[in-house]
Amino acid sequence: MKALAAMALLFGGYSQAQNLADVLRQGEQVFAKSCSAGYCHGVRGNAGGAPRLAGRGFDQTYISNVVTRGVPGTGMAPFGTTLTRSDFVAVVAYVATLNGNSAPDVSDFGTATAAPTITGEAARGAALFKEAVRGFGRCATCHEVGGFGIPVAAPIATVPSSAAALKALAAPNVKSGTIDGESMPVLVLSEGKQGTVFYDLTAAPPVQRSAGPGSVRLANGSTWRHSSAIGAYNDAELGAILAYLRAVVKP
Amino acid sequence: MRFSLALLLTISSALAQDAGVTRADWPHYGGTQSSWRYSGLDQINTTNVKSLTPAWLFQTGDYAENLQATPIVTGGVMYLISARARVFALDAATGSLIWQYQHPEPPATIRGFVGSRGLAVSDGKVIFGTKDNSMVALDQKTGRLMWKVILDDTRQCGCNITAAPLVVKDKVIVGGTGGDNAHRGYITALFTKNGRVAWRWYVIPGPGEKGNETWKGDSWIFGGGSPWLTGSYDPALNLVYWGTGNAAADFYDAERVPVGADKGKDVNLYTASVVALDADTGKLRWHYQEVPDDLWDYDSSYEVLLIDREVRGRMRQALVHMNKSGLTVLLDRRTGEFLGIFSVPEVRNWITGVTEDGKLVGRNEPQMGKTTTLCPSAAGAKSWNSTAYSPRTGFLYVPVNEMCNDVTPNDRPPEEGRDFMNAAFPFRLPPGRTTYSHVDAWDPVTGKRVWSMPYKYVLLASMLATAGDLVFTGNPEGEFFALDAKSGNKLWTYQTGAGHRGASISYSVNGRQYIATTTGFHRTVVGALVLGLFPEQDWRLGSTLVVFALPEGSR
Repeated sequence: MKALAAMALLFGGYSQAQNLADVLRQGEQVFAKSCSAGYCHGVRGNAGGAPRLAGRGFDQTYISNVVTRGVPGTGMAPFGTTLTRSDFVAVVAYVATLNGNSAPDVSDFGTATAAPTITGEAARGAALFKEAVRGFGRCATCHEVGGFGIPVAAPIATVPSSAAALKALAAPNVKSGTIDGESMPVLVLSEGKQGTVFYDLTAAPPVQRSAGPGSVRLANGSTWRHSSAIGAYNDAELGAILAYLRAVVKP
Repeated sequence: MRFSLALLLTISSALAQDAGVTRADWPHYGGTQSSWRYSGLDQINTTNVKSLTPAWLFQTGDYAENLQATPIVTGGVMYLISARARVFALDAATGSLIWQYQHPEPPATIRGFVGSRGLAVSDGKVIFGTKDNSMVALDQKTGRLMWKVILDDTRQCGCNITAAPLVVKDKVIVGGTGGDNAHRGYITALFTKNGRVAWRWYVIPGPGEKGNETWKGDSWIFGGGSPWLTGSYDPALNLVYWGTGNAAADFYDAERVPVGADKGKDVNLYTASVVALDADTGKLRWHYQEVPDDLWDYDSSYEVLLIDREVRGRMRQALVHMNKSGLTVLLDRRTGEFLGIFSVPEVRNWITGVTEDGKLVGRNEPQMGKTTTLCPSAAGAKSWNSTAYSPRTGFLYVPVNEMCNDVTPNDRPPEEGRDFMNAAFPFRLPPGRTTYSHVDAWDPVTGKRVWSMPYKYVLLASMLATAGDLVFTGNPEGEFFALDAKSGNKLWTYQTGAGHRGASISYSVNGRQYIATTTGFHRTVVGALVLGLFPEQDWRLGSTLVVFALPEGSR
């Protein structure tokens, strides 16, 4: 009770102290997951593969800068954009406490708005979209949505109404290219004096290839079909993926 | 009849022996596809090595990490890749730049390992993998980009390609990292002609495939096993050999081992194994699991040396394979039949021993809620840098490190692409020693250590053996040195100015033999871990290739 009262005095109010404790608890969890993980720092800021962080006299601004930018030439990656703002503030505050700062500034905590949460069928669709066990048969092999996937195709602008429509999706940009006597479906990225850069869509994953000027003959239309590319999914799964796309694709 | 059979055996063994030897060129990551790191050149030898002197240097300018890559030399041209995938073609006699290429650098926020360990040259192309999981092919003559294909999304898998690819006929075969994360490792083969994927072999079998039953529930989905180094190839058998990585979670097995499983054999297949795959289809022909239910992060991803040797009176097409624990198996490479096993570290407590047929005895496993000191450490009795084998001595040359780690496991659930080691494991030096590494010569057939040269810190660079009966490697203090392959006596040393964490090769141009070594220590993963053990040391970074030869006119 005495300790609580002292803390209340120190932080100017009981609820603030309570908040700080919560933030630091979150910071400790972020630290355990992102910092004292793998071949990196030790638990509670002890030395591990990476240097000790506790009791080094680091001030909060310095910690914040290093966490933001990383340390070039070492394994310390920048976390400025990979952590949520709240996780970032929490972990910086936590490391500050390991360096003797019992009242780190956490005023930025909880300021950023959280990304909309996707639930239900759409959430299942989000998982299916990039499901690793499908290998190169997953949507993410050619599409980037929600920060995942390889952007071979242009960003998805409109979402087909049904699994049938998704399968029947026309791909007018895909042409037939003939190179060294072999014909293949291609998605041209650039054509010019330097030659042609294109995606070879013969098999997944698409291969970006370069050919010298005049060495690729292009014709409209191709044998490529979206239905084959998404053949690893059944209609129910495609329905869930469409629900996900409807939730995240802004027309 | 008996005579001609013996003659045939001699001839075929001579051919196979030849397959491991490089001449003027250094065509593959491991020298040849047999991965001996042995040069048949003997112009530089035990009698004249004292005169070895620098011929030229090349500075890559890429100092983010060190220079780890094994260069490739073919037709008097050297191909070199720096840590951040800057590729150079150099005149191998002078170091003059012919062309260079820079792979666009992925954002710094991309997780994983910086540090390319090599490239491959075949079919008129220079082929390499990148941190962002691209496989890239350049025109061998001009450095122009020919094809590029992204094999996985780094943001999702937490994996990278750091290993050199292996070229096999019309294909290029490559593994990836990520086995310490929640990820399912694989080996991918692409056609060199156009970059199309020919096959992919997942280390962990999916539902319905044999071996999937060695995983509990859905744990196979994120079970690790990434084969993060470079394999070997036997053209006569048309088999590709590869070492696979540890199971994940690395230090915690309650969620991945089926209840009641016998830990003696085949748990969490095909992690911590050496596998033989059909080169054309990627189909598994046989496997040998070295660490069933790996609970120590003892990857078996290391190099596979293909050697033909007489074993107990019978000529064998064999292979030698070491994993991080320092356990080294000798197998018949046609069938995977077990022929022998030995353990290289001097400090070992993870097992009490091994039976004659290779079974682990007295497993000392990490315990939940406790901290257990385990030796060797997760950095390995040997790190990823390669051993070398000389057919003249019949010895395997190994840089061995003596380190332990204090493992405190946890049961955190997996999150795709994120750390899934599930332990804190700070490193420590074993007590009562003054030296913490040694270069050893081992006879892989008898399993006996023939000689050992101690070193006070750690040895983290690959070995090179030559027909001049020399063994070359470097240390973190910057010394590059030659040992007598028969005795281990140090015959020559040169201070290259920065620590060694890469590889050495030998080649010749116009009859002059060269020894090339990469220099520059690096401070991530094992490099950082060992620096923590020797706080008074500050081994220098760098990224310079140093090339030695005998003085002109002295030959």
